[in-house]
Amino acid sequence: MESLESLYSYAWLIPLLPLIGAAIVGVGLISYSDATSKLRTPSSVFIVSLLGMAMMMSFGIFWSQWNGHEPYSFMFEWASAGSFKLQMGYTIDHLAALMLVIVTTVAFLVMVYTDGYMAHDPGYVRFYAYLSLFSFSMLGLVLSPNLLQVYVFWELVGMCSYLLIGFWYNRKPAADACQKAFVTNRVGDFGLLLGMLGIFWATGSFDFDIMGERLTHMVEIGSLPGAIAALFAILVFMGPMAKSAQFPLHVWLPDAMEGPTPISALIHAATMVAAGVFLIGRMYPVFEEIPVAMTTIAYVGAFTAMMGATIAMTQNDIKKGLAYSTMSQLGYMVMAMGVGAYSAGLFHLMTHAYFKAMLFLGSGSVIHGMEGVVGHNPTYAQDMRLMGGLRKYMPFTAITFLIGTLAISGIPPFAGFWSKDEILGSTFQVSPLLWAIGWVTAGITAFYMFRMYFSTFEGEFRGTNDDIKESLRIEQLQRMGASLGPGAMSTHEMPQATADDDHHDDDHHHASEPHESPITMTLPLVALAVPSMLIGLVGTPFGNYFEAFISPPGEVVTVAELAKEVDLHEFYVMAGSSVAISVVGITLAVLMYVTKTIDAGAIAAKIKPLYNFSLNKWYVDDIYEVVFVQGSRKIAKVALTMDIKLVDGLVNLTGFVTLITGEGLKYLETGRAQFYALIVFGAVLGLVLLSGLT
Amino acid sequence: MTVEHFPWLTALVIFPLLAAIPIPLLPDSEGKSIRWYTLGACLAELSLILYTFANYYDLNQTGLQLVDNFAWVPQIGLNWSLAADGLSMPLVILSGLVTTLAVVASWNVTMKPRLYFSMLLLMFSAQLGVFLAQDMLMFFIMWELELVPVYLLISIWGGEKRLYAATKFILYTAIGSIFILVAALAMAFYGDNLTLNFSELAAKEYSLPMQLITYTGFLIAFGVKLPIFPFHTWLPDAHSEAPAPVSMILAGVLLKMAGYGLIRMNIEMLPDAHVYFAPVLAILGVINIVYASLAAFGQDNLKRRMAYSSVAHMGFVLIGLAAFNTLGLSGALLQMISHGLIAAVLFFLSGVAYERTHTLAMDKMGGMGKAMPVAFGMFTAGSMASLALPGMSGFVAELTVFLGFSTSDAYSTFFKAFIVILAAIGVILSPVYLLSMLRRIFFGTPGELEIPNNTSWDIKPREAFVAISLLVPIIGIGLYPKLATQTYDVKSTELANRVQNIRLAQDADHGPFYAQVLTAPELLASRLSITSIR
Repeated sequence: MESLESLYSYAWLIPLLPLIGAAIVGVGLISYSDATSKLRTPSSVFIVSLLGMAMMMSFGIFWSQWNGHEPYSFMFEWASAGSFKLQMGYTIDHLAALMLVIVTTVAFLVMVYTDGYMAHDPGYVRFYAYLSLFSFSMLGLVLSPNLLQVYVFWELVGMCSYLLIGFWYNRKPAADACQKAFVTNRVGDFGLLLGMLGIFWATGSFDFDIMGERLTHMVEIGSLPGAIAALFAILVFMGPMAKSAQFPLHVWLPDAMEGPTPISALIHAATMVAAGVFLIGRMYPVFEEIPVAMTTIAYVGAFTAMMGATIAMTQNDIKKGLAYSTMSQLGYMVMAMGVGAYSAGLFHLMTHAYFKAMLFLGSGSVIHGMEGVVGHNPTYAQDMRLMGGLRKYMPFTAITFLIGTLAISGIPPFAGFWSKDEILGSTFQVSPLLWAIGWVTAGITAFYMFRMYFSTFEGEFRGTNDDIKESLRIEQLQRMGASLGPGAMSTHEMPQATADDDHHDDDHHHASEPHESPITMTLPLVALAVPSMLIGLVGTPFGNYFEAFISPPGEVVTVAELAKEVDLHEFYVMAGSSVAISVVGITLAVLMYVTKTIDAGAIAAKIKPLYNFSLNKWYVDDIYEVVFVQGSRKIAKVALTMDIKLVDGLVNLTGFVTLITGEGLKYLETGRAQFYALIVFGAVLGLVLLSGLT
Repeated sequence: MTVEHFPWLTALVIFPLLAAIPIPLLPDSEGKSIRWYTLGACLAELSLILYTFANYYDLNQTGLQLVDNFAWVPQIGLNWSLAADGLSMPLVILSGLVTTLAVVASWNVTMKPRLYFSMLLLMFSAQLGVFLAQDMLMFFIMWELELVPVYLLISIWGGEKRLYAATKFILYTAIGSIFILVAALAMAFYGDNLTLNFSELAAKEYSLPMQLITYTGFLIAFGVKLPIFPFHTWLPDAHSEAPAPVSMILAGVLLKMAGYGLIRMNIEMLPDAHVYFAPVLAILGVINIVYASLAAFGQDNLKRRMAYSSVAHMGFVLIGLAAFNTLGLSGALLQMISHGLIAAVLFFLSGVAYERTHTLAMDKMGGMGKAMPVAFGMFTAGSMASLALPGMSGFVAELTVFLGFSTSDAYSTFFKAFIVILAAIGVILSPVYLLSMLRRIFFGTPGELEIPNNTSWDIKPREAFVAISLLVPIIGIGLYPKLATQTYDVKSTELANRVQNIRLAQDADHGPFYAQVLTAPELLASRLSITSIR
């Protein structure tokens, strides 16, 4: 075991390796910008192999934890003021080991994929540097031993997300999206910071267990009102709300799809957005004892799951559709945490990480193929109305996408089935209402995912249809026109903005048929298909190895005990009902998009208001635009005007009056210096006299 | 007085001034040899500063060190009295670093280079004089001495409305400094012995009304300089007109003189009054944060926006000072150091942008990222530091202030919650104005401005050197805050304890000054002795 011991004491290398990679390439980019940008293969191989090493170490640690090694912690004094000390370090326990494996494997595969996807991009090296920086931040986050360190890395992953969403910085939508993402996350962090300060004020600690213990104790003995504790907990929950895109702070995630697709897979599907769920897991000792907080979490999650699914039904942009699907699935996880299904929530986090990363990478492969036909224009390349029949041209992408679709729809034995079913089963025991929301959402999920699969891969290829293109172009112009705020582009600039952007070299002529992506892209897809199919088997009710490994802090259970608890009859009822609703959703999708027995357009026309409600994302963005964006601009203008007119004016006036009086008095005196001295002397005398009298 | 050791601090203060004397004699009107000469002088001075503190300064002592004391003008009791302690030492180093880099940033100054660089050197001496003076009158003289170069630098090398801005600057600060003089003399004449020495002044037992009045005087003077709402309106004007290197020093060092003054005079010498004024400071602090952040967001002028951002960041210093504990004071000091570096790098980079675009109007800019990618990256790093991203110094400083204020036992829970929540709104507002600034300058497609289609606008090695020299300590402190905090930790601990004891004594006399609506739970008190926070 000695080698394992040293593995633990060197575990800090896991986040540090990618940081070293990012730092070296980053320094190169700053000092020898052009030369470094040309070192494509060396840079990417360097960065990918560093992450590969981190992945190997993570496997080792996971293996050792799985075999029952004690949790390991290392702390050092990071900051101090007087006798006050703040500690940082790293903790490796079951949850951290699991997250390490998820993050490193997905990141590794995404990095391999990136080589193909970004092959023609001039920012190739910079992209790898950002990816590596993100991997560092995310790995640091999962190893954090206390809430403060979580907050540190929490913000860092947010910054990486900002940099990567805005990667194509000369695209206006990307510029807006990255700022929106950062600010929305800051709103969540505002709550997280306040909650953290509040809990620290009450308990004097940032350690998860100690915070939970002391807070519970205080509420019990009555030294802290329960309402205040609940307020702190809900404030902390605002952090996950923003990071995991829960209503009402979800608005940034769909827009974040402006970033390159590998990012959408890694950050905005598999890892960073799941950090919210991870934090709820870490904060379990605190949340668990506060029923109000748990209920809030559960309902926010359920509502988000439902909302995301209903919006995903009508989206035409393949990445937007997947983004709302991610939001909906994150809602499931959050709901699971809220109803106390700790292990189920994290199980879904794991399965979702794999199949959703695969789905996003698949969509990237589709976009890559489409770009060969319609050009590098997101309006065309990502719109499913121009796709269809791609299975013929891109077999690997199609099969892996289908596996992902089956997994997310909850069809046994694919991964998503086991985790979703466990969530629904546990939810039913706590609240049938929440279960009903989750159950209906499962049906909608199956429907929209198969809608997506069918319209992308089945039927006839529509990419060469100019009529559709023209109508998409007009739609795009209208949408941009509608969202034009003050200071935005004027209409004549739009064609330029929607036209091919120069980040890709665009000299190859457009083909009439899409082609399958290169092997660096299909290989990660195939690799991710394996866990998407099989990983669910570690958490079946017959032998729940997952729950035995990941159980709430303070609880220890074994596989045998868990198997005993399971009521197989109940399992068959629950699983049967959730498979049934998924099949209903799939059947509907088949009827609408394969056999065309049901005319989707006609239904949409019949329920126009509902359809528009979904298409326009429940109008949340429009409301926020008016209330927050324009509202804050107005307040800022008022503040500035007030500052220039009122405050400055008043202070100047006071000064002016003083000067005038001084000027008047000056003529009474013979010299300026004497006058000055006199005033000073008088004032001093006055002060001394005054103080002497009292 | 006998000279027991080499007068290091005197040498530090005098050297730049002496170095300025031969400048008129240098054989060069283009400014080439002058700028090299000045840079050499500044580097020598910076090395001298570092050498002195590395070899002769003991980090574990709370008291004054390296004391130089000579009679200067004995007729009026003026002593040349210098000494360093934890409050002044880090600021002296900051001043040395920022001024040296400002000289590098001034490389392209071709108009009247002799005067320009002499003024920078004069300003250097005056800054160090302010931070090191241990005599009230000397402090005041140095304080006034520093105004002259700033006035000239803005009014000669400034932008279009430079005269207005320079005049406004000199009027505001000069009127402010009258209050220093009045309050200082009042303190000097108080009681039996006439003295101007800081330590002796601090040792006097002032009556409470006297303390309150002099405190108010200092607060107004330093409030103009820091600046504190509503005396801040000179700053946006001064920054938008000043050349970038002057803005670097103005935001990086000169604003810190006010923060230093607040700690040195108001807190250290007038602690009884501070107990009464602290809540006022906290309230002014949040006004600074929220109000200036909003005003910054409303601004379309790049440097004005950053000027308001400085006002907002100084709000955290005020809140930290009001906390009555080591954490708060430590946070305030760290925020001063951190903001000195961050503001310097941001103002420098805005100067880099201005040299290319010849405009500060952000609505004319846009799409510059392609033309200056490395500058874009550095601007992003600076903005991230300014919005308190972890891993950079601003985060540690603001977090320490937040922790300090929220664990302070001087206020009711309600008041603390009120202040902390409003200050935290600044956490939301800072990315709003900083990231939208980045977006409007670098993102998207070019606006009105003609932007070259290659990277010829990108940052030059000299410019990159300045930015990196500032970003490295920003990140260094962010990763390992002790780099900065150890320079003042013993001093801030000692001072915070002293003020806290005075507050407790006052509470014991008059009962708690602030009603405790909801006291911190009992457990906390017992834990404070442990304070090992995991």
